[in-house]
Amino acid sequence: MNDAGPVSVPEPSSRPGSARAGSLFERLREDPNPVWMRELKQAARLQRTPIILAVVTGMMTLLICSVGGVASTTSEPAKVGVGIFHTFFSLAYAVVTWLGPAVAANTIAGERSGRTWEALQLTGLSPRSIARGKFLAAFTYISLYIVMLVPVGALPFLFGGVTASEVLIAFALLFVLAALSVAFGLSVSAKFASPAAAIIVTLLVALPVSLLVYGGAGVGLSYAAHDQWPGVPGGPPVWLPTAYVRADFGLPYFAFLLFLPVVATLVPAWLFYEVTVANMGAESDDRSTRLRVWFACALPALTVSALLVTWVTHAVDWVYAAGSLLWAFGCFGAFLFAGEPLAPSQRVLTRWREQRVSAFRRSFGPGILPASALLAVLVWLGLACSAGLGAINAKTGAERDAVLAFHGYGMAFFGFVVGFTAWARARANNSHTPRVLLTAALFAACVGPWIAMAVAGLITNHHDRAMLMASPSPTFAATMAQSISSSAADASLVATTGSACAAAWALIGLGLFAAAGLKVRARVALDAAARAKLQRAFDEEEAAQRAAPEPALGEV
Amino acid sequence: MSAALPAIRVRHLWHRFGTMDVLRDVSFEVGQGEIFGFIGPNGAGKTTTIRIMATLLEPLSGKVEIDGIDVALAPERVRRLIGYMPDHAGVYERITIREFLEFFAAAYAVPDRAVVGAVIELTELGKLQHRLVAELSKGMKQRLQIARILLHDPKVLVLDEPASDLDPRARIEVRDLLLELKDLGKTIFLSSHILTELSDICTSVGILERGSLVVSGPISEIAERLAARNAPPGADGKREPPTPQSPFLPGNEAGPVHNAERAQTAGGALVPGAARKRLRLRVIGDARSIAPLIEGGGGVLGVEAGLAGQLTVHYVGDERFVAEVVRHLVSRGVGIVGVEPERNELERIFLEVTRGDLQ
Ligand SMILES: Nc1ncnc2c1ncn2[C@@H]1O[C@H](COP(=O)(O)OP(=O)(O)O)[C@@H](O)[C@H]1O
Ligand SMILES: [Mg+2]
Repeated sequence: MNDAGPVSVPEPSSRPGSARAGSLFERLREDPNPVWMRELKQAARLQRTPIILAVVTGMMTLLICSVGGVASTTSEPAKVGVGIFHTFFSLAYAVVTWLGPAVAANTIAGERSGRTWEALQLTGLSPRSIARGKFLAAFTYISLYIVMLVPVGALPFLFGGVTASEVLIAFALLFVLAALSVAFGLSVSAKFASPAAAIIVTLLVALPVSLLVYGGAGVGLSYAAHDQWPGVPGGPPVWLPTAYVRADFGLPYFAFLLFLPVVATLVPAWLFYEVTVANMGAESDDRSTRLRVWFACALPALTVSALLVTWVTHAVDWVYAAGSLLWAFGCFGAFLFAGEPLAPSQRVLTRWREQRVSAFRRSFGPGILPASALLAVLVWLGLACSAGLGAINAKTGAERDAVLAFHGYGMAFFGFVVGFTAWARARANNSHTPRVLLTAALFAACVGPWIAMAVAGLITNHHDRAMLMASPSPTFAATMAQSISSSAADASLVATTGSACAAAWALIGLGLFAAAGLKVRARVALDAAARAKLQRAFDEEEAAQRAAPEPALGEV
Repeated sequence: MSAALPAIRVRHLWHRFGTMDVLRDVSFEVGQGEIFGFIGPNGAGKTTTIRIMATLLEPLSGKVEIDGIDVALAPERVRRLIGYMPDHAGVYERITIREFLEFFAAAYAVPDRAVVGAVIELTELGKLQHRLVAELSKGMKQRLQIARILLHDPKVLVLDEPASDLDPRARIEVRDLLLELKDLGKTIFLSSHILTELSDICTSVGILERGSLVVSGPISEIAERLAARNAPPGADGKREPPTPQSPFLPGNEAGPVHNAERAQTAGGALVPGAARKRLRLRVIGDARSIAPLIEGGGGVLGVEAGLAGQLTVHYVGDERFVAEVVRHLVSRGVGIVGVEPERNELERIFLEVTRGDLQ
């Protein structure tokens, strides 16, 4: 504070806090994140923390000891060790995936309800560094739990049956899961004003998802892992650490144990980060570019993963899974981008002008039209790659045709998805309506034709023909592929109807996209005209004031 | 920087929550170095205006410039210029005062951390600096908030209801602190729903009622204009007719008819004799025998004699009139026990331009 008088305000760009994103060196030189440091100080004074930690650790120890005690009377020690290993890490998984999101959900929403959020926002700390600080704080807190549990987790190692490296890897994976859980909770927290609401929403999502992942990626994939590497037992959920230790290194190891897990972690983690930052911003801020960049990286990453799996397994069936996955991810992208603004705000345009942002980077900025164009191109490319690899891998001509038909239908229908998204957004006045409409349209398109088919089947009692009624549904692509690859009697009829429907979807999509383009242009022009009129009124008033220098003093 | 550039310039601000017009064509300016009192009843739209000024809310329409910078276009630059204290602001409780301020200094990326010490000294929080924030009284917390918004040395301080729910002592301390900050060259914008709370330190005011600005400007200037308006017709021919529809509201939906009711009330017809003032005197002896000594004097409109030596003088004029009356009575040997000029100027302006739904 300079008591002599006001000091000139430094330009924002000269502050270390706004060091250019991506400059890791700058960021490392920057002081430790102030939000993180402050939260640590606060947490250190919370008397509750050590008590809760002690209670959780104590309960876990008791539980593990009793499991071990009961088991050791009936089984050999090595089996007891494995049993405890799975019990312990399953419980730890639950603690991390439930507690992590809940703790994180409290952070930003808690500042809002505690009325400290505005002060923090106005400090000029970028939303990115606030998000990082909050993440580090919540992650540190959860890490404390994991660290406290280390002695308990080391118990199975004493019984045997489990190696030290397996235990170590399992703990490392716990940290990764903790990071993902915290990032998810944070992205929800950034949206809500009340911590209670944020925690409830977070848990409503986190509980089922964590159970699904446990069942699917834990128990479910363990059988697949067993097929690939017989040394990995099928059934027990915590198979990944075992696989890391016991599988032979090779292409499958690289694909399934390194590449896929990294993609499966980074893609959602990065999304949560960008959603957190976007949720903190204001309507006029650029909340599009970073999400678009994420999508532009995530979709190719997923495509490569899918191709890698197909290539490693040489199984054509994987191509269908890969194509469906890419397609579903594309629909998620459409849902995400349905909330795009029609065009960049004045604030964003001003910044672009000042910083001389290139046309290429601008195309990633706010705007429903560039967003949907990028979406369509990326998803089409991904599906084309998947189709190409499937066609190469196909053993028969029919198989190849089936793969091509499946992906062709998918691409055509995705054209409709993109066109519909753009059209719905162009007509709506907010970002919720297009999302609701898109969900409804997707649901109707997927399910509706099958209902029509069921009804037609009941009426005509002629199932094969009635099945064609379902051809407008995108899920018909699978029926079509099956019919073609098995060279069924009506294969050519099915293929013809399917192609006709696909073409119709693509045309509708194109039409909707064109309509969206016109609508957006008209609305932007209208807005510009209104703004120009307003600006004229302001200018005229200013000129009048300058002519008669009486200060504007309200209404007396 | 040109001296003419106002610290805060609000032009034709409109805002709507749902279908309710919360701000209707609010325009005012605050000069550099002023203490501007933004006064209006609860729900008038003060906080909404302030949140727009502080870049936390985007208005429906209108321009707000802080030191010439548009808040809508360059919020980051505006954030460096203002220190904003929200109403009922929260604090981080489980850290000490010093840690609290050090955190904000780090967040503001203040280059020299000695600033924290200087701010603690300025706000007289030195003795408490190692206490936990949770242990502070309300008045101290308010002072901590003021310390917080001084860290990055902003030119403009924006305080939303800084004195509400403070006890009288804390209120006086806040007032003195604000005067000190004014001397340091800060422009201070403060809001209040209680007229008298901090009005004595304001150099200019704006009065907001139901989203419309009733009057704004330096207190003396408003008083002059009111006096001119209440003078016989002809003396003031410059009154603008009320605009039926503002050109500054975007969109084609019909906006509310701008200030139609207000113009009528503020037009003066409903509040006659605004320039007329009252002076209460308490004298020793029979008030009725003393009244004739004043009656007929220059500026005197009438004298009422009450019980127990109470005299009420209706007059037109300024403080010199009061002094003259007192001198005159004393010279006639009247013992004066009390002199009470009835209301301060701001209160008078206030009563005249508002409808009375203020606390
Ligand atoms: N977020 C909001 N949503 C809807 N209405 C609001 C919101 N904030 C304020 N209001 C309404 O706007 C009006 C003005 O509020 P405010 O600016 O807080 O008034 P003041 O600060 O003068 O008491 C009030 O009627 C209030 O109910
Ligand atoms: Mg208020």
